Amino acid sequence: MGAYLAKRLAASVVTAILSSLVVFWLVRQVPGDVVAQMLGQSGARGSAAEASLRRFFGLDEPLWRQYLAWVWAVLQGDLGTSWVRGRPVLDMVVAAFMVTLQLGLMTLAFATLIGVPLGLIAGLYEGRRIDNAIQAFNLLGLSAPVFWLGLILLMAVSQTLAWSPPLVFRSPGRDLGQNLQILILPLLSLGILQAAAYSQFTRQCVVSAFSQDYVRTAVAKGLPMRVVFFKHILRNILIPLVTFMGLILIQILGGTVVIETLFALPGLGRLLISAIETRDYPVVQGALLFVVFTALVVNLAVDMLYHVIDPRVRVGG
Amino acid sequence: MTDTARRPVPPLRRLRRFVRAEPAFALGLALGAVILSVALFPGLWTGKSPTAIDTAAALRPPSAAHWFGTDDVGRDIYARTIHGTRVTLSIVAGSMLISALVGGLLGLIAGFAGRATDMIAGRGIDVILSFPPIVLGVVISGVLGPSITNLVIALSVVYMPVFFRIARSGAMSEAARTYVEAARSVGLSGRAILFRHILRNVAPLILVQYMILFPLVLQIQAALGFLGLGVQPPTPDWGAILEQGKNYILFAPWISLFPGLFILIAALAVTLLGRGLQKRLDG
Repeated sequence: MGAYLAKRLAASVVTAILSSLVVFWLVRQVPGDVVAQMLGQSGARGSAAEASLRRFFGLDEPLWRQYLAWVWAVLQGDLGTSWVRGRPVLDMVVAAFMVTLQLGLMTLAFATLIGVPLGLIAGLYEGRRIDNAIQAFNLLGLSAPVFWLGLILLMAVSQTLAWSPPLVFRSPGRDLGQNLQILILPLLSLGILQAAAYSQFTRQCVVSAFSQDYVRTAVAKGLPMRVVFFKHILRNILIPLVTFMGLILIQILGGTVVIETLFALPGLGRLLISAIETRDYPVVQGALLFVVFTALVVNLAVDMLYHVIDPRVRVGG
Repeated sequence: MTDTARRPVPPLRRLRRFVRAEPAFALGLALGAVILSVALFPGLWTGKSPTAIDTAAALRPPSAAHWFGTDDVGRDIYARTIHGTRVTLSIVAGSMLISALVGGLLGLIAGFAGRATDMIAGRGIDVILSFPPIVLGVVISGVLGPSITNLVIALSVVYMPVFFRIARSGAMSEAARTYVEAARSVGLSGRAILFRHILRNVAPLILVQYMILFPLVLQIQAALGFLGLGVQPPTPDWGAILEQGKNYILFAPWISLFPGLFILIAALAVTLLGRGLQKRLDG
């Protein structure tokens, strides 16, 4: 287990370094950097002002030196300062990440509470009418674009309830009521999709468990269905179900980009998009670093959990 | 063999049998056929221009003259959605073709050659995988700037790792089979074995994956359009129409309603088709 963990960790670190290199190089490939945007149409191209601004931002240095300087600072916990807003990148990224994380965790809870029971029921009653109905829900939920669902929900509540969400985001610590009011629609639009995905996965797990020998044996020896289901099937499909939670969380944390833009939530996705638009390299790099890091940590955690829950997979490898 | 077995079943009854046996696959085929005809021959479905501006008829709700209503400059939403079908779907299909060809080829080679080739390709794929798909799409198209070429680049990169992995593991398991050993022993070159034998056995897996990923890429394509990073107006594109409609959602919801519904139907059709195909391949 220890050797396996070390190996996984090393691979993750290599991937993270390579990813950061790609990001660093990619954002600098764009025509029109921050200096060009600052000077705008004023015709100051090639002037002393442009050269000194470039020097100020370190853009006159060769790329590899800019990269090393950035990595060195990151290792010391300094993500730099936003070139556009003048605030520390770490503060901005953490504040935005908290918004995304709150929405992500709420969505995960919603998807689990709705999706897993639906999937269990569908799997248990495979081929019956209720299974067909749940499968239809899964298909529609997976096919509808998330942001479109958000738009439709927004329209529906404003026309039937004459209510629309507040425009300014408040953290749950400051004003829980307003916080929940603004998050309810994004939660529903993301949650329906993920509940459909979770329900479909759960159904598959149950259906394939039913064809396993241990279930057939349990049924054959005359155990009541209730016991077979709760004591045998549920215990065995718990592992893939937990693993799927991690997958969903990563999906949600990435998938909020569009929903955040639609509902004006100050999350990580919106920060990233606005930073790309203004060529604010330190913020783009910082936000992406955070996204990649979170995905790595969640993946690693799921992997570890897998090993803890199921003794069968504890193979050194 | 008796005579009755040879007698051909009337086509209508065969169709009914097929629909009853696989209703989901049949629905997928029917929806797919309709969508394909819309994409190939939009002129059959509407005579109106998708870009003609008529400010006198701006923001009209759905009516006999404008089935899906009109947008803020009076363009017909029905015509825009119909003509957008080809734009949107060909971008998705084309990017995925690039994705499947490049990812699949790299995967085949990596799985068959192993060692250094596998190592290098694998690291590159890990880097792509370390980003959530939609974030990667946003970053690539955001950095490169909004244009159809850049959109295709972004969309083809996003799910390349999946094709790579499928092809790689397929090639690895096929390479261990007896027929490959036999081919090698009669003196076939590695390249011939890879492209004449292994490719044929891996291709169906890639085709199924293509169908499974299609709705996901369609969603990302629409999302990028919605964020203003995709196809630019006035070209009709489902995502771009949604982007345009979002500011009018409260007083002109029809602008957003119909293109979104088309995305849903297209995604649904391909999902049903993909599942049906997968079932057939699994036997």
